[in-house]
Amino acid sequence: MYDRRGDDERRGMNRRAWLKALGVAGVTGLAGCSGDDGNASTGTESATATDGSELGTSEGTSTGMDELPEVSGTYRTDISGSLATLNPLYNNEQGAADVMSYALDLGYGFRPGTEYFPQLYDLTTDGGDVWVASLREGLQFGGDYGEVTAEDFVYQITELHQSDWAATADAPSWPSELNVERTGTYEFQIELPNPNPLYPETYDPLLYPIPKALLEPFVGEQDAQGLENNAELTELQFVEGGNLGAYSLESWNRSSNITFTRNENYYLREAEDVPDRFGNAPYFEELEVQVTQEQAARLGALEAGQTDSVAVPPNRVTEFDGMDGVDVYQIPQPFNEVCVYNMRDNGWTAGPGNLFQKKKFRQGLGCAVNKQALVQGVFRDYAQVQYTWQPQWSQWYPDESEIMQFGTGDLYGPEATRSRIREAISDTDYSYGNDGQLLTPSGDQVELSLYHSAGQNTERNMAQYIAQEFGDNAGIQVNVQAIDGTQFTNNYWQQQVPDDPSQYEWSNGPYNAGPREVTSANPWDMSVVFGLNTYPLNPTTASVFFSRDSSYNPYGYYPSWDAEELFQRANSAASEEELQPIFTEIFKNVAEDQPMGMLAFPADTVGYSAGIVGPAENFFSGWNFPTWYRNE
Amino acid sequence: MGLGWYIARRVAWSFVVTFIIVSVTWGLLTAAPNPEVQQAAQQAALAGDDPAEAQDRVRQLRGLDRPLHEQYIGYMTNIYTLNWGWSDSRAQPVTEAVTEALYYTVQYSVPWTLLVVTLGPLVGLYSSANQYSWKDHLATGFAFFGYAIPNFFFGIILLLIFGVELGWIPITYNTDVPVFSVENAIQLAIPVFVLVTGSIGGIMRVSRNESSEFMNADFVKTARAKGVSTYRIYARHVLRPTMVPLSTTMVAQLLALFTGSSILVEVVFSIPGLGRLLFRAIVAQDTSVVLGTSLFFVFVATIGNLLQDLVYTVLDPRISFDDR
Repeated sequence: MYDRRGDDERRGMNRRAWLKALGVAGVTGLAGCSGDDGNASTGTESATATDGSELGTSEGTSTGMDELPEVSGTYRTDISGSLATLNPLYNNEQGAADVMSYALDLGYGFRPGTEYFPQLYDLTTDGGDVWVASLREGLQFGGDYGEVTAEDFVYQITELHQSDWAATADAPSWPSELNVERTGTYEFQIELPNPNPLYPETYDPLLYPIPKALLEPFVGEQDAQGLENNAELTELQFVEGGNLGAYSLESWNRSSNITFTRNENYYLREAEDVPDRFGNAPYFEELEVQVTQEQAARLGALEAGQTDSVAVPPNRVTEFDGMDGVDVYQIPQPFNEVCVYNMRDNGWTAGPGNLFQKKKFRQGLGCAVNKQALVQGVFRDYAQVQYTWQPQWSQWYPDESEIMQFGTGDLYGPEATRSRIREAISDTDYSYGNDGQLLTPSGDQVELSLYHSAGQNTERNMAQYIAQEFGDNAGIQVNVQAIDGTQFTNNYWQQQVPDDPSQYEWSNGPYNAGPREVTSANPWDMSVVFGLNTYPLNPTTASVFFSRDSSYNPYGYYPSWDAEELFQRANSAASEEELQPIFTEIFKNVAEDQPMGMLAFPADTVGYSAGIVGPAENFFSGWNFPTWYRNE
Repeated sequence: MGLGWYIARRVAWSFVVTFIIVSVTWGLLTAAPNPEVQQAAQQAALAGDDPAEAQDRVRQLRGLDRPLHEQYIGYMTNIYTLNWGWSDSRAQPVTEAVTEALYYTVQYSVPWTLLVVTLGPLVGLYSSANQYSWKDHLATGFAFFGYAIPNFFFGIILLLIFGVELGWIPITYNTDVPVFSVENAIQLAIPVFVLVTGSIGGIMRVSRNESSEFMNADFVKTARAKGVSTYRIYARHVLRPTMVPLSTTMVAQLLALFTGSSILVEVVFSIPGLGRLLFRAIVAQDTSVVLGTSLFFVFVATIGNLLQDLVYTVLDPRISFDDR
């Protein structure tokens, strides 16, 4: 299945930042995957931690337990697609990152309440400009690679991520202006060009441990392909027999299943700064990830008790939640559902000009869709309405009274829509006919295309609802069309990189190859193919979506507010207090400018076997997966 | 010249056919824009480097700057020495991917083929022997039902009934069970059943129509008059001539199903075989695997045609291989 939320086909900075922002420590980032056809990953948390808060505060039974759970049985999860690689240096897919996390921990994660959770290393700072990473002692690679030291991390950063030949997935997080130095056997420091109080929340300093000795031959020959294809990396052989993961990779059958066995030596068992339940973790003898492409088969396996976790589409949540052997959890996630308008020159195929480029017109479209009805009808209430570039549960979400709430109350309906559109077309030859249709200068009804991913039922319903609302409230006829995600990416979403980029003001890769006159191969009007990450922990990373010349602006949006200046201020803020008013201003502007139709934040809905203790309904579900167990 | 010489020439011809197909594939691939080169240009533009320079670098790295004849020789050498390249979507060599997938495809396609090849003509013959009776209608109805119902849909329905409701079969294919074991037979029973019902229809109908021609032929009447038993008449005097035209239908249909229906069945039943390998490779735009898998299918088709020709000569003595 093409992953519509993750937009995993993207390469470069955003892609990695995106992946990271999805979550470390096995967060159920893709568990729902649009609710229709997703990978069930492993989120976790203590069973009683469902306190209703999306960021969570309670850690429930993970602390203060009298007796540790029994180690037994197999935990099985079914995912929809096979994995391209398990190479930590080159993987760009969330599904593979989730699977890797069973056998190899990342540097750190976050606990409920956005509390930093040091795994391999702790990150501390005084002023936000120099961050010190202190490694745990006693971390062991597998084979003959020995202990993990600061040298391994520093070598990896300076010789690979900061090189001009390796093109690792992490490279964009380590620009050359970052100075990284080893300051002890178990300590290294990262010097930032500007202070950043939320540096860990950017996920930029997040690393996998890779042995220096394994990398050296490739570094010597600058052999990027050899590094990418190396079996020790692609199959995680370098951690076999070590203590860096809760489980050990046993076998990887590319198209069918991946099996793991319990790692007796897991380093967090001995750690003192973690909840007691890590004391004998993990609690399953085996772990099996089954690749089951067909959704009916995945759901059937959950119903029949043949698997322990599967993504459940919203229209079947009630049915599965009502089953004796299944619990369905709603897990908040950072991806939104947006209706993107093509503001480039091959957008707005209805006639002359491109009305999407007018803020007032976009506001009119914002008034056309009843978001509450969308959430209830399409997402069966397993979603939140979106007004700006943050979910309501984000600590950076501005006060509701400060932002315009298009699609609700007075800002919804035919009058609200048409009055704004009339204003937008007042200096054009477009007009409204007597029967309420928006007419082109030649007198025909405005007809637009709206693409959605083929095979995604929820998304198709959403597209049809938008088409109906645009027809009723704006007088625009919308033709809904299904398209393969990869095809949409290649032929519609990506622009054609010009042969001579220097002739344009900017040329920033396939997702923003230049100003609006640079276009994709095919014309298109609107799309709901991709959801975008709103980075609720650190929204500064979202600047990429709102800058004219960023590396990710496929829709050709030119903000009518000074996005660059505001994000720059956010990037140089020294404290969270300083950040709050800046973010408020940013999100106020985003809500008002309507860079795209911002519609909803669907929750991941994941079905678990009733006996599994661990999943929780908060954003960090999955941070402590090794402590999950089966309550027989 | 005998049968041996004929087979040798046909096998040699198969190699020539394969060679031509592989050459044409090379021509098409060479003429098409290389995605890696495009990707490199995009990456370079993203990093603020010179896209043209990056394109040249990748061309050089992949040997695309060499003269065409050198590229062609290198490509053909790689193909025939089974060096089919690296799968980017699976992080393993293509030959390894194809071999792994083939291991699972064979497990259901062998019983499926055997069942279709034996049951199809028998059901057709049975239908023909009982023409226009309720038995004929029943057999025809069965054949048409399997032919008409989409394999993937039928598969899902059976999976839900026998897997979820009754719990008789595992819902997802378990690669850990031994090939020759009861568990494996159980988990493959439904996929094989779906494929058999899906492919038996055409064969059964051709077999029924063809054998009807011979049911009242003079040589059959003569045989009856001579007191030859009914089963012997069906087997020797009706089925054998029926098999001549039928073998054409059978090979063509089995090949089509092999590349078509098997993909859907493998997806539904989570069997990690060649069909799924090809399907995923196409979606992931993994050219090396698409090419490798296609080459395998070309090989199967060539062998299939060879077998078809050989079966002709064995079934119908009037067809001579001497003057071919």
